Amino acid sequence: MDPTISVSKGCFVYKNGATRANKRTPSKRKNAVATSSLLGKEVTTQPFYTAYTESWDQIHSHIVKLQTASNARTLEELMDFVTGERAADRDSSEVLPTAALLTGINQPDHLKQFETLTQRLHAQKSARVCVLQSRDCATLKASVESMVYNLMDDQSEVVSLDAEDEDDGRERDRKRLRRTQCTMKHLHAWYENNYSGGDKQRALVIILPDFECFNASVLQDFILILSAQCSRLPFVLVLGVATAMTAVHSTLPYHVSSKIKLRVFQTQAAPTGLNELLDQVLLSPKYVFHLSGKAFKFLTHIFLYYDFSIQGFIQGFKYCLMEHYFAGNAYALCTSYSKALARIKQLTHDDMETIRRLPSFRPYVEQINDCKRIIAVLTDDDYLKKKLPQLLRDCLLHFMLFRCCLEFFSELVGDLPRCPLGKLRRELYVNCLNKPISEQPEYKECWQMLSFMSKSEFLAKLSKCIARTELFLSEQIAPLELGDACSDLMRTKLHSLKQLLNDVELATMELQTPATETNSLADASALSDLTQVASRQELKAQLLLRSKQDKQQSTSEFSRAVSKILGLIESDLVLTYLRPLQQAPPLHEIYVFSDIATVRRNIIGAPRAALHTALNNPHFYMQCKCCELKEQSQLVSTLPDLSVVYKLHLECGRMINLFDWLQAFRSVLRAGDEQEENELPQDQIDPQIQARFTRAVAELQFLGYIKMSKRKTDHATRLTW
Amino acid sequence: MKSTYIVTKNPLMKATTMISRYKISKKITSLCRLLSQFFYLARNASSWQQLIKTKKMEKICAALEPQFPCRESAITTLAELIGDCNEAYPPAIYIYGHSGTGKTSLSKAFLQQCQQQQKVRIAQLNAIECYTTKILLENVLDALSQQSTKQQLDTESLRADNMLEFVQQLRRWHGSTARGFLIAVDNAERLRDMDANVLPVLLRLQQLTSLNLCVLLLSQLPFEKYYNKTGLSEIISLHLAQYNKAETLRILSSDYDQMQRQMLQQLKGDQLQLAEQALTPDFYSNYLNLFLSVFYKACRDVPELQLTARKCFAIYLQPVLDGSVECTDVSRLWRHIAGPLRSALTQIYMRIEKPLGEPAVEDQSVRKLAQSLELPYYGKFLLIAAFLASHNSAKQDKRLFVKHHGKQRKRMQTVNARAKNVEKMSTTLGPKSFSIDRLLAIFYAILDEKVGLTCNLLSQISTLVHLKLLSFVSGEQNIMDGSAKLQCTVGLEFVMHIGKVVGFNVRQYLCDFM
Repeated sequence: MDPTISVSKGCFVYKNGATRANKRTPSKRKNAVATSSLLGKEVTTQPFYTAYTESWDQIHSHIVKLQTASNARTLEELMDFVTGERAADRDSSEVLPTAALLTGINQPDHLKQFETLTQRLHAQKSARVCVLQSRDCATLKASVESMVYNLMDDQSEVVSLDAEDEDDGRERDRKRLRRTQCTMKHLHAWYENNYSGGDKQRALVIILPDFECFNASVLQDFILILSAQCSRLPFVLVLGVATAMTAVHSTLPYHVSSKIKLRVFQTQAAPTGLNELLDQVLLSPKYVFHLSGKAFKFLTHIFLYYDFSIQGFIQGFKYCLMEHYFAGNAYALCTSYSKALARIKQLTHDDMETIRRLPSFRPYVEQINDCKRIIAVLTDDDYLKKKLPQLLRDCLLHFMLFRCCLEFFSELVGDLPRCPLGKLRRELYVNCLNKPISEQPEYKECWQMLSFMSKSEFLAKLSKCIARTELFLSEQIAPLELGDACSDLMRTKLHSLKQLLNDVELATMELQTPATETNSLADASALSDLTQVASRQELKAQLLLRSKQDKQQSTSEFSRAVSKILGLIESDLVLTYLRPLQQAPPLHEIYVFSDIATVRRNIIGAPRAALHTALNNPHFYMQCKCCELKEQSQLVSTLPDLSVVYKLHLECGRMINLFDWLQAFRSVLRAGDEQEENELPQDQIDPQIQARFTRAVAELQFLGYIKMSKRKTDHATRLTW
Repeated sequence: MKSTYIVTKNPLMKATTMISRYKISKKITSLCRLLSQFFYLARNASSWQQLIKTKKMEKICAALEPQFPCRESAITTLAELIGDCNEAYPPAIYIYGHSGTGKTSLSKAFLQQCQQQQKVRIAQLNAIECYTTKILLENVLDALSQQSTKQQLDTESLRADNMLEFVQQLRRWHGSTARGFLIAVDNAERLRDMDANVLPVLLRLQQLTSLNLCVLLLSQLPFEKYYNKTGLSEIISLHLAQYNKAETLRILSSDYDQMQRQMLQQLKGDQLQLAEQALTPDFYSNYLNLFLSVFYKACRDVPELQLTARKCFAIYLQPVLDGSVECTDVSRLWRHIAGPLRSALTQIYMRIEKPLGEPAVEDQSVRKLAQSLELPYYGKFLLIAAFLASHNSAKQDKRLFVKHHGKQRKRMQTVNARAKNVEKMSTTLGPKSFSIDRLLAIFYAILDEKVGLTCNLLSQISTLVHLKLLSFVSGEQNIMDGSAKLQCTVGLEFVMHIGKVVGFNVRQYLCDFM
């Protein structure tokens, strides 16, 4: 409320200017509020909250940086196009310069992209921008009006040019601006007033972010108008095309498309964008927060199967992060090692109890074989606090090593034919975290393929793996806090691998001579055996045996070296570090979020299922004593009328006879209180019951489950199946 | 206000009208004397006026004819009609012809000449811009008042909310210095859709305002398409016929000087010398002959041809500059240019600019398109389900999608019905509508895994509608009560490719192919 000088109560009319002038202060205040939080102080001062904001800010800024970097090229080209078109002399008048940006199918995401474009254009002060959405452009009149209005009333521009002397004029301009006044004539006059000077020229950029949604005839006329005005006003049109260029050509007939000069820009495809995001941000060793395999798969699943929305993915991830930290102050330990050490001291008894209740704490206790120490761990908070740093360090180190091995492993199996374990790092990550990977058949297939490789291929592949892991160590791991410890461990492993690789390089392909001798002997015996088999099964068994013997004997020095090195990789890297989550070190829950059920419930809306539950079993939501049901299909008179009617209607076919329905409804209600009202005659229906029934049916119709039939009297049609 | 607006093309006629008027007031006896007197006067005046008029006309014609080759007759006719502001204009002229025949540019240039040489006020506007009558009227007033736009905003007087005010505003200029007013309305066919009084008033504006005023209407339609119930007054129409091949060639070859200059500017060194030798009018007209032999069948729009000819000329010249082909060797040059010309023919009217270094011709096959379209997995299945729902009848659903659908009895009727020819196939008949329930039922039937009916899934349907892959046939407003009907707008080939991507055989589930 604006303060007044009046002492009396009442309504006060302010002139337009007065509120406008005051408007600036509240907006500032709003900003100040927005930066803190919606939550009260009692939440925001908690350690878990600070830990959460810290890590979210870190991740968010990283994501933003990544996205701007990956969009930079297209944006740059687009900027050049816009500014270049303005500079180019307009000898070919009536031809509207147009950029078509092929954006991909998720249209809401694109708005953000166009926002960045707008901001950059404003920053350069080279253009006035108007983003025109299809919902504003139902008719030609509406679209021209909103275009002119947006161009003339561009707030961001006004804010950036906050010079005092100009402000007055602008203020006046805006005051006079009414929707009905917004015609091309006004735009023209306005442009001449503000930008007619030589170097002040600005392009007028009109962005249509959702080209496909526009009404074709309106769009055609709109483009014709723009192209007709093009010689006098420097318009540039930007179309956001979600599908392909054929959409443009099928919407615009020849006489329109010959009026535009089209340039096509391609943006990054959404799946590549996501992969980049996952590889560089979510799977980065920089962040101690991890998603479990299932949660990770769940989020990527929504993206790939449903909507292709990167924004949606990021929001889902943010929700997981919130959910993780909100579980308690113990989770404030999910930060970098040094900060966690400082936080250990602040932990209360309750927090320690939370830690003790973690599922992975139990195996830890069980493996201690000293009774006293077990009791100390379970009861003495100070003792546990002393133990905690070591545990946390183990955990952090484990995840880092896991990440390094993943790097090695993805290079190793990523480009095998048919990619049995998956091509991308995210697929491997999910595979490794979910189940013990070495027990999966796909893993065995991979191993077989690796052992079948030729010598040069194998050498090249392994050396590439090692090089990549070393690069990863030096670039990503080394700057981190526990990086040195991790890279030391990893380097020794890689060193032993290199040695074995040398052996492979030196190994020959020759078969071993003793082996051939025994081979011939075995051959002879086998041949003799073969002649005297009694049955078919026996023959089969013998043949199998022989083939096995062949395989064993025909091993060359090379293949033995290969199997040795593969064995080392399996035992040293895969089995030790690429362990599934169940075998991760104690207290890994602090770093890994895996409560997928909550997330699913909260970020995927299932309105139909929720309605069904509410109507079928009201107790689920109301938690009242009266309508507790033993089984789902039970009908109790204490249920709300709507629920009774709904349950009865589920039993019907496509058409429902209203009278039968009413009778059933009455009998359900009467079953509840038969003792009192059994004297009422059967054929007469209590008007109160009838009213209740009518009301419930109307409500059901309102919810969209039934519709009154027009063909059959006194019948309702079910609309759901 | 007597009828002074009679069309007078000839001073002689003017004289006779004066006589007829005179007849009313004077006695018949003096008629002969007067007649001779008037005839003398009239002859004198007519020859004098004729002289001035021809001079004015010639000036305009001389300015315009080099600009518009092959339009001499049209220019002369226009000049006779409205070339002289001292004469009474006809009330309205209707100019029509196909696109690219020079209606707009000719009338624009003509009006500008009139404005420069005589004291005539002109207004040129495009009917598409005038989505309300008010804008049309105010635009006319603004243009005729000849004020700058800034002044226009300040003066409140130039407001016209309706026709009456508009006519009154125009009448205020009665005594002004302007001798005539010319108003040109482009895309005049749009005037038919505006308020009912707009077109009749524009056609009789001269009569209503009693100014020396003429309205030029430009359109692609003949005037017969304008008649309505209330009727329209007569109008002089002028048809600009399409250019024939020789005329097109002449117009295109007028480009030669500009092309030559442009080409020579770009080149350096040896190539410059070669180009100077090669670039002769003959060489250019040879090129245009080849060019028209490809394009004339497909496109007669001169500006479009001009643009494409300019683009392709650089390619034509290239082998000459390399020195690989003599500039006189037309047949070898033809072999070089034939391919690029044909590919340019597919791109005509599209105006896609390619940055340098990218392949010129885009592969627009359906396969490429289907592969390039990124859809989420379930989105693809929804699209396939929509296609199946659109191209199978609902009766067949049970047979197609339910595992134990029972044995179908064969009857002669069904056998006969089955033996359909190609015209009866539902894939060629076009899509039929289906309800959202049916779409979802088919979706669940063709999908192997179990998916919850979540918001994300349902929003996919609206995404597909936004992308114009599905479209609403009816009931867009009441989706809630299940009566909304959708239709799939993509073709069989497209869906087959999408099916291939997700490993689903579409043909197997179409009645036509069973």
